[in-house]
Amino acid sequence: MAKVTVSKLAKLFPPPIKGGDVVRAITNIDFEVDGNVFVSIVGPSGCGKSTLLNILSGVDTPTSGSVTVTEAGKPAKLGYVFQDARLLPWRSVMDNMMYVRDDASEESVANAAKYLSMVGLDHTHEMFPGQLSGGMQQRVGIARAFSVEPDLLLMDEPFSHLDAMTARSLRDHLQDLWSRTRKTVLFVTHDVMEAVQLSDRIIVLAPGGVIYDDISIDLPHPRKASDPKVATLQAEILGQFENMQIPAVE
Amino acid sequence: MTTLIQEVEPEPDSAIKRWLVSDRGATISAAVLFLVMWQLLTLFAPRVPTPWAVVKIMWIEVTGGDYGSVRRGEFWNHYAATLQRYAYGLAIGFTAGVLVGALIGASNIARALISDTVLVLLALPAFVWAFLTTMWFGIGWQAPVLTVAFTAFPFVAVNVAQGVRAITPDLRHMSTAFGVTPVKRFRHLILAGITGYVFAGLRFAMIVSWNGVLLSEWFNGQVGVGFRTRYWFDANRYPGFLGWVISFIIFVVALDRLVLTKLQARAFRWRKTNDELDKELLATVG
Amino acid sequence: MAGVLVDSAEASALGTAAGLRRRRYLALVTGWVGFVAIWWLLSVWMDSDARLPSPGRVWDEVWIIFNGDPTNSRNDGGIFWNNFLASVIRVLLGFVVGVAMGTPLGFLMGRNRYWRAFLKSPVMIAGSIPGLTYAVMVLVVFGISFVGPVLAIGLISMPYIAINVAEGVGGVDKGLLNMSRSFGRSEKQMFRDVVVPSVLPFIFAGVRLSFSLAWKVGQLTEVFGASQGIGFQIRRNFQLFNMPAVIAWIGLFIIFMLVLERFVLVRIERKLFRWRQWEREG
Repeated sequence: MAKVTVSKLAKLFPPPIKGGDVVRAITNIDFEVDGNVFVSIVGPSGCGKSTLLNILSGVDTPTSGSVTVTEAGKPAKLGYVFQDARLLPWRSVMDNMMYVRDDASEESVANAAKYLSMVGLDHTHEMFPGQLSGGMQQRVGIARAFSVEPDLLLMDEPFSHLDAMTARSLRDHLQDLWSRTRKTVLFVTHDVMEAVQLSDRIIVLAPGGVIYDDISIDLPHPRKASDPKVATLQAEILGQFENMQIPAVE
Repeated sequence: MTTLIQEVEPEPDSAIKRWLVSDRGATISAAVLFLVMWQLLTLFAPRVPTPWAVVKIMWIEVTGGDYGSVRRGEFWNHYAATLQRYAYGLAIGFTAGVLVGALIGASNIARALISDTVLVLLALPAFVWAFLTTMWFGIGWQAPVLTVAFTAFPFVAVNVAQGVRAITPDLRHMSTAFGVTPVKRFRHLILAGITGYVFAGLRFAMIVSWNGVLLSEWFNGQVGVGFRTRYWFDANRYPGFLGWVISFIIFVVALDRLVLTKLQARAFRWRKTNDELDKELLATVG
Repeated sequence: MAGVLVDSAEASALGTAAGLRRRRYLALVTGWVGFVAIWWLLSVWMDSDARLPSPGRVWDEVWIIFNGDPTNSRNDGGIFWNNFLASVIRVLLGFVVGVAMGTPLGFLMGRNRYWRAFLKSPVMIAGSIPGLTYAVMVLVVFGISFVGPVLAIGLISMPYIAINVAEGVGGVDKGLLNMSRSFGRSEKQMFRDVVVPSVLPFIFAGVRLSFSLAWKVGQLTEVFGASQGIGFQIRRNFQLFNMPAVIAWIGLFIIFMLVLERFVLVRIERKLFRWRQWEREG
């Protein structure tokens, strides 16, 4: 039940060439996420999605405004899924799962095994990442993030490096896993279709880092990509974007 | 511990500091530090001559002086003799290496028949050739020349073979498809393709066979850089000994940095950076 | 040069893979048999043990090196293993010294531009210094000793290891470090589980690269100052003008160098870095 509050957030970068303009990655955005919801942040490249995620995870600091991520008043525990799997190639799958744990108790091992099993990787514990396909590696990355029992899960375009078929099957895996665990998720993507299938809410960013739209999706989980209701909604929302007006930034 | 992982770039403020952290400043600092450490070492190890003692005796060796010699210094005679042998040996080893390398690269049968022998030659240290040639030919010019030829040969052969094999069937088929004339084909496909490899082989060969000529002269000779180094060594006159050692190190390092690296980089400019070539040198000299 | 242009046609004309293997095997054996045959013919023609002893004569000498000389009343039962072990132990200890010196230098060079510039020239120069220098310098400083050859091998392998470690440190995956920080791993854990495993293969590659050179320089230092070892035996028989024994020891030198390099080192590497076999390219 993490609570994310973003208020008057702005992030500026120094001009890339001398005498150029300051780069506005994010311009004054406000939003709030409360409870176990799956929220997607969508937008074309260069609209500040990754910057926002970096600020949320504490890798980057805002120029102005504030961001708080709390769990029952205390700082929340975070989990991450990256664009690439980021597994230690010299450690087995199980050792990779245990690498992010602070203890090596039987409980932790059982917990890791449970999440591996949820993403369908029961028989891979002793294998090295190099022996797995790209999709399987990313599934280990997802299981790893869930296994630390985070209050807030940050996912940064986790399927963008995979081929279409693999990505599709992984989305179903993620839907399944999320329906069972119901964590608060912030999911960054540039793929509207993906966002519609996965999320309860979609925050759309426009270039310059402003919120262009904030859409609620009211469909029961888990959702399959093949579900006609999902497909209808995808078509409908995609239609709205066809005449997306990029607001002027002052 | 963080410093082990993150790149630390110092922010220089004054001009002197900026010079010190520049690449040239760092190299010169390293050389100065080396000289200081050498001088300090002489305080603790009396057998090690001071830099100044080495400079003094080498001055006499170069210009001639009161060491029973009225001629111009010993230095030039010995270097002339050694360089002549080095050049003849390299010419023999290089020619044989190019011919055998081309044969191994071009024909599968030749490769199966003789590439093992070349690998064995590659594994033989230079002192083995110094001994064998001395036992075969006695004291004289033959042993140093042949030691150089034998040590240089496998390095050239291996590299040329690699170069010939790097001209892939694809490019040959392309040339056939476009009806490229044999003359153009030889010039642009074969010659241009293997020149870099030939230079690379020559560079490695020159560096290892410099060790060969010195060793051969050390064990067998009445003249030459290796002989003169041993002369001071046997006389227990360490300033002279160290001076000659430094001179032959400077010779090979200068040869490599000022001539060979540049030639090779030019011939290989389509392929690699200098740093990669340096790494390759380290890999191949072994 | 025209031969170059028919290579692919030649290869496809040879037919099936098994046939190709058989032919290659046949050519290899022919090569070696031809080598020994030419050697034998030359030795018959020269008819001088001091110039070129026959293969049989050298084989007798190898037998004596392993089993001792039966015609000698003070039969020592073979001197091979003592000398061989002396050489091998020196090389191994030398590598320990080389890794101990090269690894910290490599870390400095890999993570810091200033130290890279500072150490680059010395390390490159150390790599092209003639082996003779190391051999005689350790003789001057240490006399005939055990330490000398070990130090020489350490010094000669150091630049290779330093350059490889530098490359390894520079190539530590930033993504993995980021991931570790995101999951709150300590610097110590990151060092042990990310940095060390990434750099270790590079250290080993440095050892493999410098192995044959170190083995050669090790023998050379034995030539100059040792009372045991393969290099020492070659020198001793050179001074006795015993050509069959010189060639026998040279043969053993090469065989054991190739065996150590091809089988022992490669096998250790394969075992240590099992995970690398499945690593994807790029």
